[in-house]
Amino acid sequence: MMTLHKKLKHHYKNLLIALALVFVTVLSGLAFMAADDSLMCLAIINLLLIVHGILNQGSISGLLKFFSVQLVLTLVLYWLIHGEAKLLDGALVVFRIMLAVIPGWWLTLVCEPQRIGEVLAWIMPHKWAFVVSASISLLPFMGREVKEIYQIQIMRGARITPKHLRNPKNWSELIYCVLLPTLIQLLKLSQQMATSATNRHFSQRTKPVYWRNP
Amino acid sequence: MLIELHNVDIGYDDNYLLRNVNLQIETGHCHCISGATGCGKSSLLQLLAGTFEHSYQGQVKVKPNCIVGLVCQDPNVQIIRQTIGAEVAFALENLAVPLVEMQQQVRHSLQLVGLDLALNTPISHLSLGQKYRLMIAAQLVCHPSVLLLDEPWAQLDDQGVTELLGLLSGLLQRNIAVVIVEHNYQAFSSLITHAWHIDQAQLFCGDYLVKQSKGVARQRPCYQDSAAIYIETAAFELGFESSILFACQQPLTLQAGQVIAVVGSNGCGKTSLLKLLAGFDPQVKKLSVQVLQKLPELGVYGANLGFLTQRPSRQLFETTVLKELQFSLSRFDLPLSYASNILIELDLVALSELSPHKLSYGQQHLIALACLACINPKVLLLDDPFAGLDDYYSNKVIKLIERLVQQGCGVIFSSHRDDDMNLADTVWRIEQGLLTVESQSFTSANDWDHGYDDIA
Repeated sequence: MMTLHKKLKHHYKNLLIALALVFVTVLSGLAFMAADDSLMCLAIINLLLIVHGILNQGSISGLLKFFSVQLVLTLVLYWLIHGEAKLLDGALVVFRIMLAVIPGWWLTLVCEPQRIGEVLAWIMPHKWAFVVSASISLLPFMGREVKEIYQIQIMRGARITPKHLRNPKNWSELIYCVLLPTLIQLLKLSQQMATSATNRHFSQRTKPVYWRNP
Repeated sequence: MLIELHNVDIGYDDNYLLRNVNLQIETGHCHCISGATGCGKSSLLQLLAGTFEHSYQGQVKVKPNCIVGLVCQDPNVQIIRQTIGAEVAFALENLAVPLVEMQQQVRHSLQLVGLDLALNTPISHLSLGQKYRLMIAAQLVCHPSVLLLDEPWAQLDDQGVTELLGLLSGLLQRNIAVVIVEHNYQAFSSLITHAWHIDQAQLFCGDYLVKQSKGVARQRPCYQDSAAIYIETAAFELGFESSILFACQQPLTLQAGQVIAVVGSNGCGKTSLLKLLAGFDPQVKKLSVQVLQKLPELGVYGANLGFLTQRPSRQLFETTVLKELQFSLSRFDLPLSYASNILIELDLVALSELSPHKLSYGQQHLIALACLACINPKVLLLDDPFAGLDDYYSNKVIKLIERLVQQGCGVIFSSHRDDDMNLADTVWRIEQGLLTVESQSFTSANDWDHGYDDIA
């Protein structure tokens, strides 16, 4: 039998995860809703999350690359549509997206997806909680897959190195060589994961027992 | 009777993948189904597992309450969780097994497959072979009536196969039925009660083809100008920031026209080494290595270096096989005719106008290899190039490598067993955290005899 101490510790951890979920949701929401002059406060909180994430063996290189690409694309579009005067607005939009994404990145580092699923099952059906937690656990895997597919295609001669991508003519190659196979992988994987879950009795009980490391 | 297939057809008109299949799976029986690469073995396994997604004709009867466990050829597609304990526990969670009992069962299943690691070990740290063992454990914990295994020999090292043999023997004694799809059925011959093979879309009783011996002394003309050194390393330790995968206490080189086999068990660091040499980011510490007189960096070698990764199907994106091959040729300004030539060389012409996404695991593997070989690189790095291939295509790949080597290509390939070593001049063996270099003896001959018998 599990000791009372272990049970309490487990409930305490789940409570912390629930609080983290609420915190992350509010923080991400505020990134879009807060006034411009409040963004600095949000940025400081996000900076603390980044530091905590790095201490939990997280890597920000993916985040930095994502935002660099996002910034370049957004600024180019703003420049083309609105002209030079609105470039600062474009940068602000990217900054808000960054503030919205960082809390989610931090959450995936500090909480195991199955624990998030367990907590979400308090407020939603187990099936839906599983879908959310499975999607979260898929993110790091897909991140690694995208990186490997990108590297493989560069080796095959695709014009998608950062140098090549300075030329907008090569952007379609990135979609064709990296995004398309990634989407194919994602579709296949989600289908096969669903099959794998069904084969392992998923959804046979309305109230499953959740795994915990001893 | 646990599962029965009666007059099952997969396909339509004159294009049948399987035709008139009759198969009965009973308790305690071990069936082995062999056949050529892409003949429909995995589809048959999916049909037995109830996960076949396409239409079929005929009857599939499964005994009520019969639990069927399937381990796919690529275990990555079945992984749901991030740590090994949580992964194996998934089925038990859904069956609402009490936590203490769950932890015991998870440990027991992991021990059965020889995966003696901490329960919170991230799955991303495991090798492909270790992931295969993990998925077997994840199925065993469900107490299946039928266990279906797709090409276990290709994914597991020798120790893994030995452990699996002991495990399957125990399961059969407990009246669990086992169905194995396997090119190398001989590895499991001590257990097999029913041998089948698929030929021309039909399931026949009996063995497929006599396995070709790869133990023949190698005789081929050496590349004459073998002075050029393509890869050079000093003594090194390969590993992560906190742990070492293996150490190498002597310098390593790859010369023009040389074939090197990197041999070691699942998870010893073979893939990390090849990724490092290719300039991929292998998540290991950087080393002082010169590849083609440069520090390994992604994209700097152009057509001079090719790297076949594990699960190479990920790189396929074109609408036809021919276009897939022509992609690199067009990017490196090489003649597009090389694509057709290599399809002829590998006997894959029949696939040239098909979508690469609809091919089998083994066929996709071949196409990915052909994409690299057709650019005639100076250095070719192949991570487990024979995975999922039958003897016929394995021999085709061997001949292809021999041809490239004669033209001066330096080849490094990885393998988790010794069977493929006759192809190599030198073996880099990784054992107990140490890489040692072994020279292979072979006979040089002016009249080239590749030493591998063609399959009739």
